[in-house]
Amino acid sequence: MNGFSFDQRAFRTGATDIIALGFPGIPFGMVIGVVIAESGIGSLVGWVGSWVILAGAANLALLELMAERTNAAIVLLTVAFINSRHAMYSAALRTRFVGFPRWFRYVGPYFLIDQVFALAASQPDDMAARERLWNYFGSAMTLWTMWVASVTAGILLGDVINPDWHLAFAVPLLFTGLMLLSITNRPGITAAAVGGGVALLTADFPQGSGVIIAILAGVSAGAIAETRSEGAT
Amino acid sequence: MSTWATVFAAGAITYLTRASFIVAGDRVGFPPIVERSLRYVAPASFAAIALPAMLGGDRFASFGDDWPRIIAVCVAAVIIVRWRNVPASLLAGMVTLWLILGLT
Repeated sequence: MNGFSFDQRAFRTGATDIIALGFPGIPFGMVIGVVIAESGIGSLVGWVGSWVILAGAANLALLELMAERTNAAIVLLTVAFINSRHAMYSAALRTRFVGFPRWFRYVGPYFLIDQVFALAASQPDDMAARERLWNYFGSAMTLWTMWVASVTAGILLGDVINPDWHLAFAVPLLFTGLMLLSITNRPGITAAAVGGGVALLTADFPQGSGVIIAILAGVSAGAIAETRSEGAT
Repeated sequence: MSTWATVFAAGAITYLTRASFIVAGDRVGFPPIVERSLRYVAPASFAAIALPAMLGGDRFASFGDDWPRIIAVCVAAVIIVRWRNVPASLLAGMVTLWLILGLT
C-alpha cells in the first residue's frame, strides 16, 4: 500500500461531507427495520441482511418477497435487477480508481451506496489518489454506520415515525439536490431531463425496471447532446 | 434455499454489481461513446430516482396534492444552485413543506 497510507484529513472530510446526505436515509432505514421485525423471517437474519446487502430498495423488495414466501430464485433475480443501477455507478467510477491498490478495488465497492457514489463522482478529476481513496472510505464508513444504526433502531423501536412529519419527502429532496450538483454542463441538463422524464413515464413498471430504462435513456441522451455540441463548434 | 442462504446470495449479487467495473479496472475499456455516456450516470440516475418519488410514485410517500411538494422542491433547488449547500437545502425544503401543509 505504498503511497496510500492513511490520510486522516481526507477521511474526515469524506466523513463530514456524507453526513447531510445520510440524513434522508434514516427514516428509510427505520422503515426497513420495521419491515424486518414484521416480516417473520427473523430479526437476526433480517438485521445481518441489511448490512450484507446495504441497498435500501433491493433490501425492501427482498423482505416483501420473502415474507410472501416467494421462490428464492425470483427473490434473487429481483435483487439483481434493482441493483443493476450499481453496475452503472461502478462503470462510471472505473477510470477514477485505476491504479488504486487491489484491496481497495475489492473492498471499496461494497460501500457503493447512491450517496457514496454521488460524493465520489463529484470529486475533482485532479484529486490526488491517496486523498481520493481515504475520502471515499471516510464517507463510506460513516454512511454505513448511519444506515445500520437506522435499521437497528427500526427493529428495536418499531414504527415510531409519524407519517404526518412527511420525513420520506427528504429522499426526493436529496436526490433533486444531488442531481443539480452533478450537472456541470449543458448535456448534463439533457441527461437529467430525459432520465427524469422517462422515469415518470415508466414509474408503473415492475420492480424498478422503469428506473433502469430511464437511466439508460438519460446517459444516452447526454452522450448524444455532447457529441452534437462538439460537432457544432 | 434457507433464509440465511438467500440473504447472503442477495448480498453477493449486490456486491458483484458494485464491484464489477471497479475491480476490472483497466482490464476493460469502453468505446468512446459509452465512456462519454458514463459521465452522465449521476445526473440521469439521480433525476430518475427523484422525480417519481417527488410526484407521488413513492410508496412511502403518501401525500395529498402534488403542489406543496413541488414548491418545497423549488425552494430546495434554489438553495442548492445558489449556495451548493445540501443540509441547508434539505432543511429549507422540509420546513417549506411543513409550513404549506400546516397553513392549508
